[in-house]
Order: sequence, then structure tokens, then C-alpha cells
Amino acid sequence: MTSVPTYAASSSKRQPKAMTDPVAGASPFFRRLATAPGMATLGSLIAVVILWELTARIFAIPSYLLPTPSSVIQSFSSIGYDRWFVHVWATLRVAMIGYALSIVIAIPLAILMLRSPFLSRTLYPLLVVVQSTPVVAVAPIIIVSLGAGDAPRVVITCLITFFPLVVSTATGLAATPPELIELSRSLRAPAWREITQIRLPFAVPYIFSALKISITLAVIGAVVAEFCASEAGVGYFIQFSTSMFRLPQAWAGLIVLAAMSLALFQLVLFAQKSLFPWSLPKKD
Amino acid sequence: MSLRATLTSFALASSLIAAPALAADKVIFQLDWLPGGDKAPIYVCIHDGFCRDAGLNVTIASGRGSTDAISRLAAGSADVGVADIGALLAAKANENVKVTAIFSEFNKGPHALYVIKSGRIGSMADLKGKTIATSPFTSSNFYLPLVLKDKGVESSDVKLIKAEPGSLGPMLMAGNVDGIVAWMTDLTRYRNQGKEAGKEIVVLPWSAAGLELYSASLIANDDFLAKRPEVAKRFVEAYKKSIEFAKAEPAKAAAAVKAIVAEISTEDVEGSLNDTLPLIFNEVTDKDGLGVFEPARLAETWRRVSAAQSIDPAKFDPEKAVTRHFIPAK
Repeated sequence: MTSVPTYAASSSKRQPKAMTDPVAGASPFFRRLATAPGMATLGSLIAVVILWELTARIFAIPSYLLPTPSSVIQSFSSIGYDRWFVHVWATLRVAMIGYALSIVIAIPLAILMLRSPFLSRTLYPLLVVVQSTPVVAVAPIIIVSLGAGDAPRVVITCLITFFPLVVSTATGLAATPPELIELSRSLRAPAWREITQIRLPFAVPYIFSALKISITLAVIGAVVAEFCASEAGVGYFIQFSTSMFRLPQAWAGLIVLAAMSLALFQLVLFAQKSLFPWSLPKKD
Repeated sequence: MSLRATLTSFALASSLIAAPALAADKVIFQLDWLPGGDKAPIYVCIHDGFCRDAGLNVTIASGRGSTDAISRLAAGSADVGVADIGALLAAKANENVKVTAIFSEFNKGPHALYVIKSGRIGSMADLKGKTIATSPFTSSNFYLPLVLKDKGVESSDVKLIKAEPGSLGPMLMAGNVDGIVAWMTDLTRYRNQGKEAGKEIVVLPWSAAGLELYSASLIANDDFLAKRPEVAKRFVEAYKKSIEFAKAEPAKAAAAVKAIVAEISTEDVEGSLNDTLPLIFNEVTDKDGLGVFEPARLAETWRRVSAAQSIDPAKFDPEKAVTRHFIPAK
């Protein structure tokens, strides 16, 4: 009976120390390295890659089922940097133009819907219908209608990224405290000032939430479009590699795609931090 | 010589020098799938100068299946392309699309069943009660019930799984299915995949099982044929020369594809090209010639296609889907 409380007491003394300082015995260099930002993520990523490589080698998993990370890394050099640039640029160009187009359309449309209940009632169901229609199903029709070139791919990307932007912007614009709107109206502020100086600033956090979602959707949209019709692009490269049974090459394309999405997401985050730091959630 | 005369002579000489470059007619060529060894002739045409010598400036657009290629040709996005004539006959019968076949490339169907040696399937007649996989959009799916019927097997007796083309090989090697439906043009690639898995791949071509039909053909937009018939004629001649070059020099043909499509490996292209050539050059070619649509074989192709698609064969005359005007003389 007496041994249990003794153990509990001793472990409760040791536990906090282990939690707060996991590299207590390490040299200052390793201590700094271990506590550097992102090191835990990097460490776990490296561990997963090593485990993956060992599993694939020990169990002799064929490359068409699961290629080893080393073969994926090697396949990066299967095409020259100039070809990688062509593919990355093709996807990036379509994703960026589609994303920009959806911003240009979505934000004014959200403002119009806020100002006009009639437009809101008529457009909202249409937007829901557009969003509910699987883009993959309509993509071939868009491609046949708009022909070769970037236009159909940009439209497909825009269709995928558009909806979150409209909905979030409309929600943000409507979330403005009513007392501020009443104040501006009592001061006879014109409608455009109400939008630009009161409603839009309040909608900024909502808009940036949607922008962050949409930027990753833009890459997905560009890839979906490339799967349907394209001569270049990372999505095309992945599809082509799979059709030629070159799985390591396809995985290399997937890694590039993930890196591209991550970089674009960070870029939007950076833009928010730089231009509207006040719109970010407060840290504890 | 006066300045004016000098300038005139200079302008005339410049225009004569520039004439061949200016005269090159632009042609957009539509593939029915992604680049590969089975598509080598068009790359040979561009890379080895057959198109240039015919005064053509050809650009290639990749496709995502025969139906997609035919839709784009009908929409005018491309002038001429390659697609399965079965898909064209069905499209003409159902929708009267404004495209016409102008040259037969594969006079045998590429459709086949791939199985593992010492597996549960030894011939097409063994398919009863077995599970096979196919890709969702391949034209082979239309012919499968016909081949099964010829062998006395009901379609309902075979479990058919639809899967992404790239996953068919792994499904077969992993033993998830007893066989896969794929084209003869991928024989080398599947055999290499089998080697990696320590398994021997056996191919059962449907042409050997009695499926006699035309397949991949050059198909052109009707407006292109009506407005630029000379360009079409020159293109078909250049394309025919490219096919013959690919047969004589498969290694050089593979290098031509690699030169334009950097993502591909020359070995893969050459393997696929060598798998493809028997579909172009065979006993049918010896009898009828390259590129020819022989009326009886075309009628048999339509009989098979109409049966596969449940279309009344009397509804459409297959002769209306082809023109022999552009096929070069022997």
C-alpha cells in the first residue's frame, strides 16, 4: 500500500523536468539546433523518409507499388532543370491567373450581393449549384468549348477557387458591427466609404482565410485541368509518368506540387502579415 | 543599276529565299492519348523533316482518349489527328460529327488481355468466374462483351473492375485480379513490370480471338479537308513516309520522340514502337496496302462496333465515315 504513493510522488517530480527540457544533457550547439523553429517537423520528416526507405528495401517492395525515397530523389534528374521549369511555370501560371481572376470577380460580387438583397437571393443559389457541380465532370466540356491554350485551364481553376472567396467575403462584410454602420450613416457617409473604410477592413480576416484556402485549391484546379488537357505542367507530368509506369518520376512530381502549394500558402500568409498584421489572430 | 532597281532585286531575292519558310502550312495534330512509342510517326514527321519537306509546320496536342480526340477535331481545335475508327463510327452514327477518317494506321485492334503465366487464365475462354481490371475510358471495353460472347462466356460471368490505367499493372502483379485489359502497344512495359515482380506476363490478343477490325486511323476535321485538301494530301503522304521510316529505323524513331518529349525514355519508346509495328505491318497490310480501308474489313469493323454499342447496323453506312481520296498511291 505504501509503495504506490511513493512511486507517484517520485514520478510527478521527474515529469515536469523532462517535459520542459528534453535536451538537458546536450551541448549548447545541439540545444540550439534542437530548439530551432521547424526542427521538430524536419526531424520527424527525416525519420519518416528513413523508415520508408528501410521498409521498401527490407521487404523488397517493387517500385510500381512504392518507390524508395532514394529512387524518387534520383528521378528528379531524369529530366533537365529546363523541363522542370517549363512544367512548374505552366502550373504556376494557370494557378495564379485563375486565382487572380477569382479574386477580381469574387470580392466585387460579394459587395454587390451585400448591397442588393435581390442579387443575393438570385445569385447565391446559382453559386451553390456551380460549387456543387463536380469540376472534373464539366472540365472536358469546358476544354472542348474553349479550345486549346490556357483559357480552359484558367476557367477551371477559377471555378474551383471562386466559391470560398465569395462566401467568406460576403460573411466578413456582413459581420461588421451594426453600430459602426449606423454611425457612418448618421454622419451621412457615402456607400462607397461605408464599404471601403468600414466593411472591407472588418472583412479582411475573413477574406484572408478564404485566400489561404483558395491558393491551395488553385493548384488543385490547375492540376485537374492539366489532367484533362495540357501539353505541360506538373499535373501533366505526373499523369504522363504514371502512364509510362514511371512511378518514382510521378512521386517527384507530387513532391514538387506539394512544395509549390506550401510556398504559395506561405506567400499569402506573408502578404497578410506584411499588409494587415492586425488581422492575424492574437497569440497567447 | 538604279537604287530602285537594286531594292526591287533585293526584295525579290529575299522573298524567294524566304518563300519555303513562309509557305509552310500550319497543321495542328491531335493525339488520342499522351506521347509514346505508338505515336512515334508524328514525332518522326516533325523531327526528321518529313513534315518540313512537305511544306508543313505541325504542332502536336495530346489527348485523353479517342472520344476526346474526336470531340476536339470536330470542334476545330485540331485539323487532323489519330483516334480509334470504332469511336468515330459510333460518333458518326449517333451525332454525325463533322470528321472523316482519311488513313488507316492500325489494321488490327490493339486490344488484349494480359495475364500471369501459370495463373488462372490460359485463354479467353477461361474468363468465366474470373476478375479482370480495365481502365474506364479505353475503347477495349466496348469489344470485351463481343470477344467473350465469341468464346461462349457471358459478360455477367466476369467480374470487371474499372481502375486508373497506371494501376492496372500493379493490380495484376499483386494478384488483386486474374487479368487486365490493355493494349498490345504496352507489351514491353508490362513485361518489364512483370520482371521486376518476378512474374512472367502472357498476352492474349483479341485479334487472335477473332476480333478482326480497323483501329487507330488518321481522322480529320471536315472543314480542314474541304478548305485545305492539298495540305491534307501532303500531310498524309508525309505521315506515311514517317511510318515507313519508323519501321525501318525504330531506334532513330525512338530518338525522334525523345528529342521532342524529354520526359520519356528512349528504351520505353523503342519497346512500345516495336510492340506497335505488328498492328501496322502485317498480313492485312501485305494484302491491301498501308493506310487502306478495305470495304469488307470496314464493314466488319462497323458490324462489331454497332453490336458492341447496341446500334442498329442499318442505321449508318460505314463508307460515309471514310474517304480514300487522301491515301497515297502504292
